[in-house]
Amino acid sequence: MKDDINLWFSINQFYTREARYLDDLEFDQWIGLMAPDLRYWMPIVSNRIGRGIGSELTERGHLAHFEDDFESMSNRVKRLATGRAWAETPPGRTNHMVSNVEVTGQDDAGVHVTSKFLIYRSHMETDQEVFSGTRKDVLRSDQETEWKIADRTIILDHAVLTQKSLGIFF
Amino acid sequence: MLDKGEHPHFDHLIDLTKGEINRSIFSDPDIYQRELKQIFARCWLFLGHTSQLPNENDFFTAYMGEDPVIVTRHSDGQIGAFLNMCRHRGNRVCRADSGNQRMFTCPFHGWTFANNGNLKTVPGYKQVYHEKLDMESHGLVPVAQIDTYKGMIFATFDVSAPSLEDYLGDMAWYLDMAIDRRDGGIEFLPGTHKWRINCNWKFPVDNFVGDSYHGPVSHGSAWESGFEGMPRRKKGYGYEGFQINAGGGHGFGARWAENEEQVYEMALPEFLAYEQERFPETHARLGDLRGMHLSPMHCSIFPNFSMLWQSGNMRVWHPRGVSETEGWSWCFVDKKADPDHRDMVRIHDLQRHGTSGTWEQDDVDNWVQSTLSSRGYVGRQFTQNISMGVEHEIEDPTTIHPDMRGRVAGFQNEINQRQLYAQWARMMNGDAPVVPGATA
Repeated sequence: MKDDINLWFSINQFYTREARYLDDLEFDQWIGLMAPDLRYWMPIVSNRIGRGIGSELTERGHLAHFEDDFESMSNRVKRLATGRAWAETPPGRTNHMVSNVEVTGQDDAGVHVTSKFLIYRSHMETDQEVFSGTRKDVLRSDQETEWKIADRTIILDHAVLTQKSLGIFF
Repeated sequence: MLDKGEHPHFDHLIDLTKGEINRSIFSDPDIYQRELKQIFARCWLFLGHTSQLPNENDFFTAYMGEDPVIVTRHSDGQIGAFLNMCRHRGNRVCRADSGNQRMFTCPFHGWTFANNGNLKTVPGYKQVYHEKLDMESHGLVPVAQIDTYKGMIFATFDVSAPSLEDYLGDMAWYLDMAIDRRDGGIEFLPGTHKWRINCNWKFPVDNFVGDSYHGPVSHGSAWESGFEGMPRRKKGYGYEGFQINAGGGHGFGARWAENEEQVYEMALPEFLAYEQERFPETHARLGDLRGMHLSPMHCSIFPNFSMLWQSGNMRVWHPRGVSETEGWSWCFVDKKADPDHRDMVRIHDLQRHGTSGTWEQDDVDNWVQSTLSSRGYVGRQFTQNISMGVEHEIEDPTTIHPDMRGRVAGFQNEINQRQLYAQWARMMNGDAPVVPGATA
């Protein structure tokens, strides 16, 4: 299963479509790719040395950049549609690049997939932001959308974010 | 714009009677350099919370102005703060954000310092320094004063600064509404949001000290999408709330509950059960005014600490040049809070405030745009307006409640911003800091 090229191709196509929804501001379509029991989590990375190596990421129960479920992600999408979400008024222009897609396993929860992302965002006149990192997903096959994202952990590389906010989705 | 004479005066940039300030204070690089000296090297600055240093030899790194510092708990239990700067070439001796170490070895030439600042070893002390280097005077530079208030760690590089107790004044008494509601006080959850904003550091401080006015416009989208964030206010409550200035540039805004029932009516649904559980204890500890009537919301402590009481959120605004700021934001909870309540506070906080906060995002762009407008020559010829309610201070706040301290105005009033900039001018006009042991 892990080395099934059809599976790999299907997931790649899915990620490309997902990225297009985000870049084209089709957020209702994007939220439609999420499972109702979604866990969407972005821990905080920090610099450690010596014995601290290996504990760079905050754990569950600690502060995180994102710790959301389907309802709160839907609300974040709803906020963008109000016309008064000023950080996205006018909307930023993004390109979500997803690569290094690797199926790492499969169990009752779904297919486990690790991928890398590089997102470029241009906003207003000259604001430019680059986001790089790793996504660890659990995908569940779905009749309607082929896959649903049941669990997404996003590890952003930045210890001090050079971006003014995390107003985009990953 | 800046008088470069020996004794420049900054009062002319701030007109408290009209409620106008000169925009050059947000864009002039000379003024910024003077702020680093007159404000960030003189004031008591918030470093963190003792719960971040639970064990001997724990440390975290922080900033005081643009100066990097290491905050340590020594093996004798003492908390200290030192410039994160080797006394040889100035390299940072610690490149981690936190950890547990007794010693810090400079990665450049290997000078090694204990976590109480003492210089312990210098490679080649005998052979190349011929035992002539005075080890004792080349330890890590300690802050001039360090102190805690109920777990909140503050420090200053100015030996002539007043005590922390005097510096905080009445603000400490009000701060109890965040940090002393229950036995055991508060603790910080692990994890710090850190992010850069292209704005002058004073805009967020101004926003948090007294700007209850921007909420409905700036945060309307978050509020109506399910991210309620403030006490629920109903009509017919009597007082709408107050802006309270505790002196020294410190201030906050609070809603007003007439009685215990209204405390619960104003509580956000997810916090109601916990409010009911802790009310008797809080009321017994803090009394009617602080333990029932005031539902504090936003706050800044001069110069760069801010807080959102309801959301369990504290932060500092580190200056990073005249038009750049680095926000550091933490989530705090009552130490006695159960796991369920901790989860609710954390999720409430991070979905509204800090890096991905649905409230914070929209603030950030406001501060960026306000900073940009202070850069143009013509724009700077027009003052920034902080005149709201300038002649509408409440003459005798004790008529509201006999325990009320400080200067008080209605909830929608820019009194706290005016006092913030008044304190800014006082510090900018004042004596230079006295950094003990300075050799330059």
